[in-house]
Amino acid sequence: MDNNKTTFEKLTLDLSHHIRINKGFLVWMGFLTVALCVCLYAYGLQLKQGLGVAGIRDYVSWGIYLSNFVFFVASSLIGMLISAVLGLIGVKWITPLVRIAETIAVAFAAVAGLVIISDMGRPERLAYVFIYGRVQSPILWDVTVVTTYLVLSILLLFLPMIADIAILRKKAQLLPAWLRPIYNVLSLNYADTPEQNRIIHRSIRTLSIILIPAALSIHTVTSWLFAFTTRPGWDSTIFGPYFVSGAFVAGCAAVIIAMYFFRSSYKLQDYIQDLHFDRMGKVLVLMCLIYLYFNINEYLVPAFKLKKADALHLHELFSGGEALMFWLVQLGGLVLPIILLIFSWFRRPLPMMLISIAVIVGAWFKRYLIVIPTQEHPFLPIQHVPANFMVYSPTLVESLITIAPFILVLMIITIISKFFPVIPIYETAKERGIEPFNSDK
Amino acid sequence: MRFRNLLLFIFIICWASLMRTSAQQWVVPDDQKGKVAPFMFSPDLQKQGEGIYTKNCVSCHGMPGKDNWVKQLSPPPGDLAMVKAQKQSDGELFYRITTGKAPMPEFRNILSEDERWWVISFLRTFNPKYVQPNPAGKGVFTGKVVKLQMTYDSVQKKVKVFATELTKERTMVASEGIGIMLFVKRYFGNMQLGDPKTTGKQGLVLFDFPTDLPGDKEGKVELICRVNDASGSISSSPVTSTYAIGVPTNKPGLTETRAWWSTRDKAPVWIILAYTISVIVVWSIIISIVISVIGIRKLNRT
Repeated sequence: MDNNKTTFEKLTLDLSHHIRINKGFLVWMGFLTVALCVCLYAYGLQLKQGLGVAGIRDYVSWGIYLSNFVFFVASSLIGMLISAVLGLIGVKWITPLVRIAETIAVAFAAVAGLVIISDMGRPERLAYVFIYGRVQSPILWDVTVVTTYLVLSILLLFLPMIADIAILRKKAQLLPAWLRPIYNVLSLNYADTPEQNRIIHRSIRTLSIILIPAALSIHTVTSWLFAFTTRPGWDSTIFGPYFVSGAFVAGCAAVIIAMYFFRSSYKLQDYIQDLHFDRMGKVLVLMCLIYLYFNINEYLVPAFKLKKADALHLHELFSGGEALMFWLVQLGGLVLPIILLIFSWFRRPLPMMLISIAVIVGAWFKRYLIVIPTQEHPFLPIQHVPANFMVYSPTLVESLITIAPFILVLMIITIISKFFPVIPIYETAKERGIEPFNSDK
Repeated sequence: MRFRNLLLFIFIICWASLMRTSAQQWVVPDDQKGKVAPFMFSPDLQKQGEGIYTKNCVSCHGMPGKDNWVKQLSPPPGDLAMVKAQKQSDGELFYRITTGKAPMPEFRNILSEDERWWVISFLRTFNPKYVQPNPAGKGVFTGKVVKLQMTYDSVQKKVKVFATELTKERTMVASEGIGIMLFVKRYFGNMQLGDPKTTGKQGLVLFDFPTDLPGDKEGKVELICRVNDASGSISSSPVTSTYAIGVPTNKPGLTETRAWWSTRDKAPVWIILAYTISVIVVWSIIISIVISVIGIRKLNRT
């Protein structure tokens, strides 16, 4: 049917026209590269002069490097929610969002490990973690699960893309010449045969199933790095689910922001529709409500008992030095977004994107509030220490080193989206009743 | 933030003033200040003293002259090569080592008198201007020379200490009215058992030995008895003996068995199994999927 063929031609063109190197890409990547170089210079200073260039001292030895790590692991969890949980349940509207979510998962998980290295005074001893790592230590578990999750996410990004790669390989005129050999290799000779589909579908299904425990593990184990101590603010039995639910909040917001920018810069309005924003808005509200529920538990229960050490910590958060940040994060990054997103007017692309930015900024500072204030109140204060040991404030060098991972994430997302279609062509065609490999029939 | 700083300030002021008063209170009684060592310091003794110093003192005071004492302690222990320590008389140093003052432990029952003097002889090597005063009682010792013997009476379950003294006729006779203290050795220092007792006419004291005191694997405990002599008028040496009279205790050290907190080779078996099996299962699935997906290259025939 000619009609189907033209529709398919248009669809393929719409979803692949961004795969090219244009001026915008070069300017954007150039900007990111320059910014990254500045941050790498800061890291060079730290390598040369030691961790003393950062604001971390004997009291607060886990500064924004560690809170940043928690944030990165959190943001990567969204891949599991969208492609594994919603995908296995059979939710249909997520089709155009799955690859965006997986790209975000891969980018954040890949960089999370690097964030940890920035906190190491002797990064050349990284291999010792594996050579001498204790199997009883949550740090070794964390290294293991983050690596596993990254590999699973890369596979879940790649396997559903094989069909798209094969489609575009056949329409070589749509691809830049330098990309064609890469597509030839990655297409794995896929031709939509039942045997090939059986293997791919079975693999995706298995990967989706093991992705769920793997994703829960990476963030639960990350929470255990804190919860396995007895310190106020960390000594909590609900830290695992508290972290996981917070992760979905950050991840949903990241996906919504990415949706907005891909939609407008790659002209995907016909594929990422207002409906998708509306649905993602509802998912975000649900996740925020779950996270709010955990927050109430996490703060109200110790606040009711006010054990001596907890009291010092909680007063600091509720009415002390961290109060402004605490209430901005809780109200501006959680409560207000919930209230606004209940109204459908706010679940439109632009308001949603702005709300998501507030949510993701709040999510970053929330990790700061989890990691840092606890360390400012040790059970056994060190005597006669300089004042800068007691109150943590990040230095400029430290802040630049913390920005670097964000630049890397943006680079990875940009490159993946410039090399491969952002929205699955094969699934979209199938949903619209077109056989992608037999569209002329 | 401002409120916290204020609280911190008040806390520091209170703490500092508290430390000031307590530091001032460590006064050495006048009659102790003049006390001098019973022997001349020699390089041999200084060497002995260095060994004792590195075992007992260096953890807080650091090595003298190196300024590596623990700055966080209050009151500050200080470097003992400094003028503040060296301007004190031997008697003052001896008194402070003997009595201690928190956080400094008292070494009364940890180091013998001679050992305490050896430490002082070592410390004085850091003071080139130091001239040792004439040793006490050199030549004329007018007090008693007492010898102790310790036995354990397994029938009465009591520790017996028998004191004899040297008479002018150079014979040993039972010594009456001698204060005796009994200690049991533990990891750090000695624990006193009961109160000091005074010998009767037969020169004998009996100490009850507690029934619940833990010993080593075979129940062995090391007992030390010594004369309780504050005036320095008795010359005697402590006596040490080991008896299998404690409760046999075979508790492995906290890091000797498999435990969550031990080294890697002492990890609990269940953690090793759970970790290894999970890693093997997940990674074999991943590898098998990668292999089968690469295999679709050859299935390109409809």
